[in-house]
Formats: sequence, structure tokens, C-alpha cells
Amino acid sequence: MEPPLLEVKDVTKSYFENGKEFKVLDLVRFELAERDFVCVVGPSGCGKSTLLRIIVGLEPPTSGQVLFEGSPIRADNPQVAMVFQSFALFPWLTVTQNVELGLEAQGRPPEERHARAHKFIDAVGLTGFENAFPRELSGGMKQRVGLARALAIEPLLLCMDEPFSSLDPLTAQNLRDEILQLWENPDLPPKAVLMVTHSIEEAVYLADRVIVLSSRPGRLVAELEIDLPRPRNRKEPEFYGWVDEIYSLIV
Amino acid sequence: MRGLRGWLRILAGVAILIAIVVAVVLPQAAWNAAQLPLLALFSTTRMVLAYLLSLVFAITYGTTAATNKKAAVIMLPVLDVLQSVPILGFFPAALVFFVATFQGSPAGIELAVVFLIFTSMAWNMAFGVYEALTTIPVDLEAAAASFGLRGMLRFRLLAFPAAIPKLVYNSILSWSNGWFFLVASETFTAFGGTYTRPGLGSFIANAGLVGDNAGIAIGIGVLAAVVVALDTFVWRPLGVWSERFRMETTGREVPRVPSPYERFRWLPRFPRLRRTFLTSVQPIVTEYRRASVRLDRTYSAHPRVLREIRILDLVLFGAVFVLVVVAGLIGLARLFLGPLPAGAAELPLAAASSFARLSIAYGISLAWTIPLAAWIGRSPRGSRYLTPVLEVAASLPATALLPIIVGFALLVTATLGPAAELSAILIALFSMQWYLLFNLIAGVRAIPGDLHEAARSFGLRGRTYWRRVLLPAMVPSLLTGSITAWGAGWNALIVSEYIPFLRPPPHVSGLGYLLDISTFSVPPNNEMILLTILMMIVIVLAMNKLLWRPLYKRAAVKYRLEI
Repeated sequence: MEPPLLEVKDVTKSYFENGKEFKVLDLVRFELAERDFVCVVGPSGCGKSTLLRIIVGLEPPTSGQVLFEGSPIRADNPQVAMVFQSFALFPWLTVTQNVELGLEAQGRPPEERHARAHKFIDAVGLTGFENAFPRELSGGMKQRVGLARALAIEPLLLCMDEPFSSLDPLTAQNLRDEILQLWENPDLPPKAVLMVTHSIEEAVYLADRVIVLSSRPGRLVAELEIDLPRPRNRKEPEFYGWVDEIYSLIV
Repeated sequence: MRGLRGWLRILAGVAILIAIVVAVVLPQAAWNAAQLPLLALFSTTRMVLAYLLSLVFAITYGTTAATNKKAAVIMLPVLDVLQSVPILGFFPAALVFFVATFQGSPAGIELAVVFLIFTSMAWNMAFGVYEALTTIPVDLEAAAASFGLRGMLRFRLLAFPAAIPKLVYNSILSWSNGWFFLVASETFTAFGGTYTRPGLGSFIANAGLVGDNAGIAIGIGVLAAVVVALDTFVWRPLGVWSERFRMETTGREVPRVPSPYERFRWLPRFPRLRRTFLTSVQPIVTEYRRASVRLDRTYSAHPRVLREIRILDLVLFGAVFVLVVVAGLIGLARLFLGPLPAGAAELPLAAASSFARLSIAYGISLAWTIPLAAWIGRSPRGSRYLTPVLEVAASLPATALLPIIVGFALLVTATLGPAAELSAILIALFSMQWYLLFNLIAGVRAIPGDLHEAARSFGLRGRTYWRRVLLPAMVPSLLTGSITAWGAGWNALIVSEYIPFLRPPPHVSGLGYLLDISTFSVPPNNEMILLTILMMIVIVLAMNKLLWRPLYKRAAVKYRLEI
């Protein structure tokens, strides 16, 4: 049997300070298959960002394991890409150079890099800004660059850490819809999306499946399949039903 | 600004006219002056060599300390000590070493000079690189890691660009430090003889020695012109360029320290000249880019070689470090196990008088810089007319002003003893005051407009205004300025307490004097050199740890202005 795309197996994370143990995550386990759009929600300080950093291999778990396609995850895995809350754009590189970053690290030839960067800059609607520097862009445009940079390495799994939290509500909503559009386009990567957010509404709006964590230490409280058809309407009672249910689970 | 530019043009015309008249009336002086461009070139070359050395050192040292936690445990304290000790104190020791090694050949002396300038430039640059690399935003590091940036590529795309703003900033500070040491080191006495290397510093010193007033003035003028020109054409554009590499921060912190590349703002921008200059260095930049890409490819093709080079690097550093420490420890043990040298009894008194002298200079600096900074910082007009004068004056290293200061002191006191005392204090004053002034001005400027307006609307005036607004706002920059000023003061001791170019050389008792005569005696009194340097290091470190650091910490909490 083929292993699932991502397996998070009993991940526990503790920090030690002055000999005292602070447990951030406690035995978190879930799986991600192809065509999954999963959101992890939880109250602030429940360790969801830490969980994501462990999943992409930026931090080791204290115990437990993260398997990607059946083998332990590595930070520089070219099949996994990351989008950051703070955008994490390199201020000294242009939009194109930022988007080409992962491709450059993989040692792709310049022609291929340019072609791919062009394709994804176009996909996120930033044509005309190829040679701009990040500081010349608005917040929403910066996050588009972050998204194009992640998509450009054509990952199987796209990980997003609170990608809309630094944006104003209107921009955030536009970008959410655009991400769903990109997601529904079968020609474009990724195969699966894992997103961390503190906004329950956002999770219900976007995800097929919502994973709910408790407050510190983060424990798995529930895993819910959101079976609403897309595009989802925030005003519908079913939508609110889901939001309320998750809300009651957290509180 | 056009008015100022017009004035500059007239000034230049007058200068040229005077030069022609002088050339006709005093052909000998004109002949001397004609050599100045060449001498300026020699001096600048020494500076550039020392700077390149410092750059290589700073990048490798800073990167290693930032990436290797084990090495950092040793490397950071070493850097901290090196940065805070009076470096000029080491010069006699370095001189003895280099001159002895090269048996007095010019190459050895040149090396000693470049080495000395290097020691005045390198440490804060290395610290800058270390600081920049350890404060890269977590997410940016994570992005680099998750997109697979490694080795040379990570250095080129992440680490080096991230270090550029701090590196340029510290380079500018180092560069002006360098002038001070360059001028001090081009002429010196040791082994019973005087060594001179051709350059602007030795030209000025020589003019002072033979009492050639026109020579002194011309030398200082050319030095000022070189300093200002390099600032205009190299450092200011570099500073502007480095802004591109600054991280965007959400909570903007108010800059406390005066930005060094904001100096000489009032100068005309010389767009055409600058463009010519930039096009002339363009090939170098392109070539560097090409070379770095090639290097990149070679490196990433041989990861094992790269790792071996890095290990070799660490081993070499470790070996040199252990050697230096062991040699130092053996020297110390020998020093303290045997009977102390005869001069050791003078040390406490010498230290006390040096300290008293610096305190007087510090007091005078405070007395005039605080009110002036308060005025300039708040008055656009005062700033516009005074800044040019102050910046040019500050750009002159105190060592270059030595002949003028000594001459002035002689004129005022008319006797050698008091003149030596006065000139020692004045030289210390000229080394210390500018750091205070420009830091304080920056501190006053950083007071948010809202605070001024609030103060005005509540009717704060006169003494209450000073007590409640101005002075508290100045505290952090006063401390920053004081630390730098005292550092410069300790360095000034070596040139101020013993003036070899007068006959007989006047002197005052102090650590600098002790250090000088121990070096000048034949053979050099190594034990006394070592003891005196130790004494200085102990005092400086004690002051830093016991006085400035605690004060600074308290001020950082209490007086920080946040917007």
C-alpha cells in the first residue's frame, strides 16, 4: 500500500528552561492525503506554528515522527514549500529573484528558472512587478510573491503559516479566493495544502478538513470534515453551524 | 542650498588664488606642496590595504562566530576585549615585533603601519557582521532553509546581504578611526632612531618639527580634502546603497546613534563626477559578480573540499589562538614571577594622572557639547550653518592637529612644562569631544515632534523643559557618546603625553608617557611595555563593566523613546 503523503505520528515538543519542562505539543497525530486542504486551528499559544515548523522539518520534535511519502521529513525537501505570516521575502532581491530562490537552490538552469518564475508571477497576478523590490509592494502583493515563490518549486505539499494574518481584511479575503482558484486548477501544484490559522471562520471557509488543537500544551481535540460545497457562503446557517461547533470545542 | 554651493565655489577660487600667490612668493613651500598629492596617495593606499584586511577578517570572524556556537564562546569575549582596549597601546609592541622581524627595512615599517590601522578598524566591523547575522529574522532563516539554500549560495543570497547595512555603517566609523592611527603611525621614534614613511601624516609631523606653519596648514587642508572627498564619493553612495539591504521592521526603533553616512549632507552632490567615478568602478563590480558566480559553481561542485577548508580554517584559528594565549600567559607568568621592573612603582600615580587628564577633557567636552547639541538638534538654521564647520573640524584626526595644539599651548603658557600639560589635555579633548557632540545631536533630533509639542502645550519652559524633556532624552546618546569618547581618550594618551618632535621632548607623567619611553629606550623595555598596557586594559575594562554597562542598561529601560 502506498504511504499517505504526510504522516504526523505522535509529535510532542517540549522546551526546557532552567531545568523546567514546558510542553508545547502533546502527542499530535494526523494524516494528509493527496487533494487534501487541511487547516489547523487553535487558540493562540497552542503551538500550531511550532507544529508547522516541525512538519516542514525546520525543528525536530522532542518525540514522535513526521513522515513525508513514507520517509522522515527534511527541511530542504523540494516537494514541500512554505508560506510565512511575515512573508519572509529577501529585501535585497527583486520579485523575480525571490520567486526563483528555491529553483536556484536546486541548481536549475537560468532559462528554466525565468520561465517558471514568469509563469507563477503571472498566476498570482503580479505581471508588471517582476523587477520591483519587496519594499515597494503592498502587503497583499508581498504575500502573492511569497505564494508564487512557494508554488514555483512545484511542491506536492504547500504549508502556510497564518498567511493572511498580517493583511487587512479585504485583501485577505481576495487572496483567500485566489488561493481557492489556484487550488481548483488541476494543472497547478500543489497536491495538498496544510494551513495554520487562528481564525475559525477562515478555516471553515477554506478547508476540506479542520484539525482542532487545545490550548497549551496543544493536543488534538477533533478532526472535522467540512462537507460544504464551494464557493462557500459565510452567511449561510450551515457555515455558522461549523464555526460555532469548532468554537465550542476550543472554549 | 544653492547659496552654500555658491560660497563653496567662491571659496575654491580664493584658495586657488592664494595657492598661486604663495607659489610665486614662496617657491620652496610650493615645491613641498606639489608632493602632497603623491603623499596623499601613499596614505590612502595604506588605509585601503588595512581596510581590505579588516573586511576579510570581519567577514570570516563574524560569520564563524555567528554560525559556530562552540567557537563563539571564545571568539566573542576575545573580540569584546580587543574592541575596548586602547589599541594604540599595542603599537609600540607591534612596532618592536615588525621592525625586529624585518630588521628595520621599510617593508617591515609599512607592515607595522598597516597592521596598526587594521587593529583600529577590524573589531567593530567583525562585531557588526556577527550582530547582523544573529539578528536575521527567524522567518527569513526558515525560508532560506526550507527552500534549500546552503553553503556559498546561502552566504551570497542571505548572510552577506543581511550583513551589508551594519558592515557599511561600521566601515565608515572604522575608516575615520583609521585616519587617527595612520597619522600617528607614519612617524615614530624607536630603537633610538626616528622612522618615517612618506605620507600626509609624516608631512604634517615634519612641518611641525621644523616649525613650518604654512606646511602644517597645507598638510591639514589636504588631509581634510582627502577625507571629505572619500566620504563624498565612496562612503556616502555606499551608505545609500546599503539601505536597500535593511530589513523592514514592524516596530521601528528610533535611531540613536548618528548615522555616519549622513555626514557631509550639505556638500554639493557632484552628480557628473560621481557618475564618472561609478562608471569607472563598474567593470570591477561586474568582474566581481562574475568571479563570485564562478566561485559559487566551483564550491557547490566540491562540498567535501568546502568542508575540509572550513575545518582547516577553524583548526588554524584555534592554533593561532592557543599560541597567542600561551605566549601571553608565559609572558605574564615570567613578568610576575620575577622581580617587577624598576618603573613599576610609578604605574599607579601615572594611571591616576592620565585618568585625571581625561576627566578634565571629558568635563570640558560635556560643558560645551550639551548646550550646543540641544540648540543644533532643535534649530534647523543652526544646524544648516554650523554642521558643515563642525563636520569638517571633526573629520580631522586629532593626531593631525598635534603641531597646532602644541604650538598653541606654547604660545599661551610660554613655558615648556605647563605647555606640555595643556597640550596633553587639549589633544585628549579633540579626540573625545566630537563623539559626544554628534551622538548628542542625534539624541536630540530623535525626540519625537509630539513630545516637543506636548511639552509646549503644557507650558514647559526654561529649566523645567531641560529637566523634563531635553536632558532625559539625551541620556542614552550621552552614554553611547561617552563610551566611544573615553575609548578615543585612552588612545590619545600615547600621542599626547610625550611629544617627540620638540627638543628637548616635553612630557607629562602618565601611562602614555611610560609606554612611550619604554618603547623609545634602547633596547626597548618589554616588561614595562607589557605592564603599562595591562594597566590600561584593566582600567578600561573596569570602567566598561562597572560604570558604562550598568548605566547603559538602566538608561535603555528608563529613557528609551519608542514610537
